[in-house]
Amino acid sequence: MVNPVRRLLALLLLGLAANVQAHVASNSFLTVHLDGANADGALELAVRDAEIAVGLDADRDGKVTWGEVRGAQGALLAYLDRHLELAGADGRCALHFGALQINERVDGNYLWQPFTAACAGAMRHLTITYRLLDQEDPSHRGLLTLTATGVAQTAVLGGARPVQTFDLRHPSRWSAFAEYFHVGVWHIWSGIDHLLFLLSLLLPAVLIRRDHRWQAVPQAAPALFNILKVVTAFTLAHSITLSLAAFDIIRLPSRLTESIIAGSIIVGALNNVFPIVTEARWRIAFAFGLLHGFGFAAVLSEMGLPAGARLVSLVAFNLGVEAGQLAVVLAVMPLAYLARASRVYQRGVVPWGSTAIAALALVWFVQRAAG
Amino acid sequence: MRFAEGGVLRRRSAKGWGATKAMTLAVTAVMSGMLSAPLIAKPYVPADDARVLAELPAGAHHAELSARRLARDRLDVAVPLAQFYIAQARASGDLRFLGYAEAVLAPWVGPATSGAPAPGAPAPAALVLQATVQQSRHEFAAALGTLDRSLAVFPRDPQAWLTRATVLRVLGRYAEAQTACTEFARFADHAVAVICEQSLAGLTGHLDSAYTALAALSGQDLTVPERAWRESELGEMAVRLGRDDEAEHWFSQALTLSPQDFYVRAAYADLLLRARRDAEVRTLLQGQESIEPLLLRLAIAQQHLRDPNFERSRELLQAAFGAEEARGEAVHRREQARFLLEVQAQPAAALDAALANWAVQREPDDALILVAAAHAAGTPGRAAPAIAFARAQGLHDVRLTAAQGMGQDLAPGTDQGG
Repeated sequence: MVNPVRRLLALLLLGLAANVQAHVASNSFLTVHLDGANADGALELAVRDAEIAVGLDADRDGKVTWGEVRGAQGALLAYLDRHLELAGADGRCALHFGALQINERVDGNYLWQPFTAACAGAMRHLTITYRLLDQEDPSHRGLLTLTATGVAQTAVLGGARPVQTFDLRHPSRWSAFAEYFHVGVWHIWSGIDHLLFLLSLLLPAVLIRRDHRWQAVPQAAPALFNILKVVTAFTLAHSITLSLAAFDIIRLPSRLTESIIAGSIIVGALNNVFPIVTEARWRIAFAFGLLHGFGFAAVLSEMGLPAGARLVSLVAFNLGVEAGQLAVVLAVMPLAYLARASRVYQRGVVPWGSTAIAALALVWFVQRAAG
Repeated sequence: MRFAEGGVLRRRSAKGWGATKAMTLAVTAVMSGMLSAPLIAKPYVPADDARVLAELPAGAHHAELSARRLARDRLDVAVPLAQFYIAQARASGDLRFLGYAEAVLAPWVGPATSGAPAPGAPAPAALVLQATVQQSRHEFAAALGTLDRSLAVFPRDPQAWLTRATVLRVLGRYAEAQTACTEFARFADHAVAVICEQSLAGLTGHLDSAYTALAALSGQDLTVPERAWRESELGEMAVRLGRDDEAEHWFSQALTLSPQDFYVRAAYADLLLRARRDAEVRTLLQGQESIEPLLLRLAIAQQHLRDPNFERSRELLQAAFGAEEARGEAVHRREQARFLLEVQAQPAAALDAALANWAVQREPDDALILVAAAHAAGTPGRAAPAIAFARAQGLHDVRLTAAQGMGQDLAPGTDQGG
């Protein structure tokens, strides 16, 4: 469930004359902006598809010219009238087609047919019937972007579902929240680099550095406090940069952030082997946490934030990340606390575990920096 | 010639519409580049009536609808017309032709796939072609269902058995594929049956002997498409054996016999890419950019060569993968995973795509891209399903062994399909 709005918008933005054309499945692009009972929008239909539908190539020379398209506009409008319908609760909206234009996309030229629609009554729902090319090419689909009351929704029209009804009243903020929360959790679990960074800072949280060696903290309170400081600093820092990036205030190239994230793990882990910062590890957490935030943001930018629910989605994603992170901390740290006094933990897990983490991160660093 | 479609029959994977709209893929990075698409075209009114907006390939004319109407009533028109569209789809990479074939077949395949009333009982010949269309879209389950219906009517149809073997092979269901090959052998020429059987044996622990057997098979009894099929299977086997010199010989033979076979061309390009013969890849794929799997290989070569056309190729690929995603389909998911891994350098997203791909199809190249992506993402353990599968089947592939060692810089093969 990638946010389809952003995805479709991205598709709509793509378009360029092509000497070489990649073949894309047969899609049209239908945009509808509804304002009260009136709508405006455009249907973009590939020249190839319009040829199949109504026949544009009048002289049958295998080339469709602009003159031929203009000559066929009457037939095209008649076809659209039969195969495309918008309707509200009180019946079919009256469609008025404007002047035909051409849009260039990577996969070829499209006819860009603007229209306005006059619907009747209170528009709680919009029903779209889309039967373009249903006889000629059953694989054809219409990619819809519908905006109403400031909220965009998208859908794939045609195929087995030629008639679809869209609810114009309540955009589901809850579903956006659930979706982005899930992505947040999933990302922290699959993005093992963030966890390793945090872990490398937390491993020594149940220890204290004295006389050049690690010793167990005497009671739970300082350990808990250490963990709290590191986790809070990391959370705060990545939340800041995640928000800044999500709202496009700051952008960093992803290769740079990915490399630095790998670097941060090396620093965090090596600090356990050759300790320099022993007391205030939360500062490392904060400083590099800022960069991890950009890493999280990259995931969000791939998904996009849904219009109308940007803030709620961002918060949900961040909470998902925190929840995923917290689950790991809760699973690992009690064990670390119990094992803190053992030689295995102090001489084995902390230094050698950290070395292994640093080595792994070094591999990532080289891979990412080399691209 | 029973197997006029021979070279084409084995087209394994094809496209999987909606087979897995995996949630995980939601986070795939296909769109990432598109979000920052620098170029925004605006609709305009052309100044010149003579301006050419599109060139129509054969089979893409409204005027041909009269032939299609005829096909509604006449099976002897519908079958060759559908074959023509399928061939056009393969030669050009243009997916629209698969839709045209589907439309022509609709009246002849019965209500299971179409609301149109069948003039009579479903026709086996139309059902097999319908299965080929479904296979070309990676709708493997649907393809198997259609083949079952066809075989229920006409169980002695070698074409149906061979297509069934092919689909099952893509799915990694080798034992069932073997059964289909055996059935196929009952109704087909011996030499062709050997190709079917040995190509499966080569995937299930008998690579050396299968390679020897297939290489010893005389081409005399084979039609040109069948020989091209044999050579391409030999090429793939040689690749898995690590004998790239021999593979190159087989691939170029196959291409001479069947120049439009984009699958072989892609496999050949991969071989060249592994050897960093990037300039040769560029030559090999010149003019083939409309076919997505080939465009991907070209883009990788262009990237290595710092070719100024690289950005353009990348944009085209993004648009194509983006359109598939927007439709909720994933026709070329294997290529998408490789695109994310090698061109976009997004290993995490590539891994998601490779996992989603693995859920659908299980050719050696599917295992390879999964292992490569899992290593690049720093989580080699996530390739475990593919490695376990390869072990269980006895799949021998030097590329896979190498990938498990280092997991970088791989060139898995192409997805087959229309």
